[in-house]
Amino acid sequence: MRALVIDDSRAMRRIVSGILEGLGYETQQAGHGREGLDALEGLAPDQLPDLVCVDWNMPVMDGLQFVSAVRSNPGWRSMTIMMVTSESEHTQIVRALAAGAHEYVIKPFTADAIRDKLALLGLLPQEAVL
Amino acid sequence: MTLTTTSFDWVRHLVHKESAIVLQPGKEYLVEARLLPIARQAGLTDVSQFVESVRIRPDADSTRRIVEALTTNETSWFRDGDPFTALTSTVLPSLLGARGPNERLQIWSAACSSGQESYTIAMLLEDALPNAASRVSITATDISREMVERTRAGRFSQLEVNRGLPAPMLVRHFTRAGTEWEVAPALRRMVTASQCNLAAPLPRMGPFDVVYLRNVLIYFDLPTKQAILRRVRDLMRPDGWLFLGAAETTLGVDDSWERVVVGRSSAYRPLKGK
Amino acid sequence: MTTLDSGERRRTSDTRPVITDLIDEVTVESIAQEAWISLVGEDEVLVPLPGGPVADPVSSWVDVVGPWTGSVVLTTGRRTAEELTRALLREHSPEVLEDEDVADAFGEIANVVGGNVKAALPGSSGLSLPDVGEAPALRNPDDLCRVELQWRGEPLSISVQGALPPLPAVS
Repeated sequence: MRALVIDDSRAMRRIVSGILEGLGYETQQAGHGREGLDALEGLAPDQLPDLVCVDWNMPVMDGLQFVSAVRSNPGWRSMTIMMVTSESEHTQIVRALAAGAHEYVIKPFTADAIRDKLALLGLLPQEAVL
Repeated sequence: MTLTTTSFDWVRHLVHKESAIVLQPGKEYLVEARLLPIARQAGLTDVSQFVESVRIRPDADSTRRIVEALTTNETSWFRDGDPFTALTSTVLPSLLGARGPNERLQIWSAACSSGQESYTIAMLLEDALPNAASRVSITATDISREMVERTRAGRFSQLEVNRGLPAPMLVRHFTRAGTEWEVAPALRRMVTASQCNLAAPLPRMGPFDVVYLRNVLIYFDLPTKQAILRRVRDLMRPDGWLFLGAAETTLGVDDSWERVVVGRSSAYRPLKGK
Repeated sequence: MTTLDSGERRRTSDTRPVITDLIDEVTVESIAQEAWISLVGEDEVLVPLPGGPVADPVSSWVDVVGPWTGSVVLTTGRRTAEELTRALLREHSPEVLEDEDVADAFGEIANVVGGNVKAALPGSSGLSLPDVGEAPALRNPDDLCRVELQWRGEPLSISVQGALPPLPAVS
């Protein structure tokens, strides 16, 4: 399985990617929403990542704009989007889900939190199932 | 206040035996930090003192608290979701068909800890049934008064709601209260929490249509397991459903149950005439 | 003894809240503890004791803009910020840490703590991207909620501080 991790913090990108790799994912990284879209553009459907983890507050293009952009492209429906952000008000989570995010992980999180969410989404690579 | 090697080793062995989690030497500090609140509840100021008292005179409740404090997967919502999927896909339709329209279904979460299991059941029923609160009541019990109070309060930290609670369910059933999240009043009204020791004669409750008794039996010896299962059975309807933890079974413990496969999960039903 | 209540304080906070009306030290500390446990390490605790003066300080902060406007500022020694960065990156930590790595990781901690402080405040507010360097000046000593902590024996403070000078006294 493949994942794209979008966060303006390099440290956070490494942490999230490290957790996903530990669960059996191949990962790719981007520093903001625009870079994320660039990484997806031109990919054939079978090359698209299964999962996109995206932060909210980022320069150039924020996570909410990214989610809306992905959702407006019918060719990208297969991807599951999980926001991973310190934005943690009720209204913000509602906005993200309304824009088309499937899941939402609030920072700070533990590796278990990511694994549990992926289990709910049916996106745990087989060998990682406990 | 330092943890003695004897205490630490005992905790390590216990946790490994019950959860297969390995606590490396050097994690004494973690053990102290996690067990201090439990030691204080027991009226002690020192973790070593607490661990020693449990080591010398083990009791199932303290043992369970120690393991739970040092493992993190006991208290997440839909993790190990199969017993919950089974509830809405199979158990609920079958019970609704068998009961009259005015009969209230009774569900028991028999070791409710801080309430995640009870409220997971409440959320599923609220989403699956119109006017769920008038059709179902959920009884949540725990041996610890503190856990009963936490269940009643229905408040969870950010880290707790991050663990296996789907975001759509979080926003539908919770509101923020400061740094915590609070369960909606409609769900809190479905859940009645009280203190109850499974290893002693049980209060008058039920009769229950569904019982969740997960990850409790593993902490007791065989005669106590048998006694608990007998008492639970006495509080269940003859066509009721019992869910145990994934590593638990009635097989070889109490032969008055029939194991049935429900989806990817197993449930146990009282055998007639036993 | 009776004190005459002029109502002045209430009027002031009606027009513009100060942070101590909205959040307390216990809340800020619990937010920081959760961030430490999950980001820095499961057995990493912040000890709630003042650690004394900070040598060679560095700060990271995010701005909160809304009904209350100000910054959430973390301050610690440069060496401690480096150590935090290594703890955060674990096995991904580079052999030699660049200033950029420290700014990035220490800034992200401010983002996580700040985001959660923001969520605990009433109303809806916006959050800036993190900044790292010399802490923003304290504009109003009454509009400050500060916790002093120690991590691995080194001092670390978290200040939730208003961005605006005090209102002129009502005469």
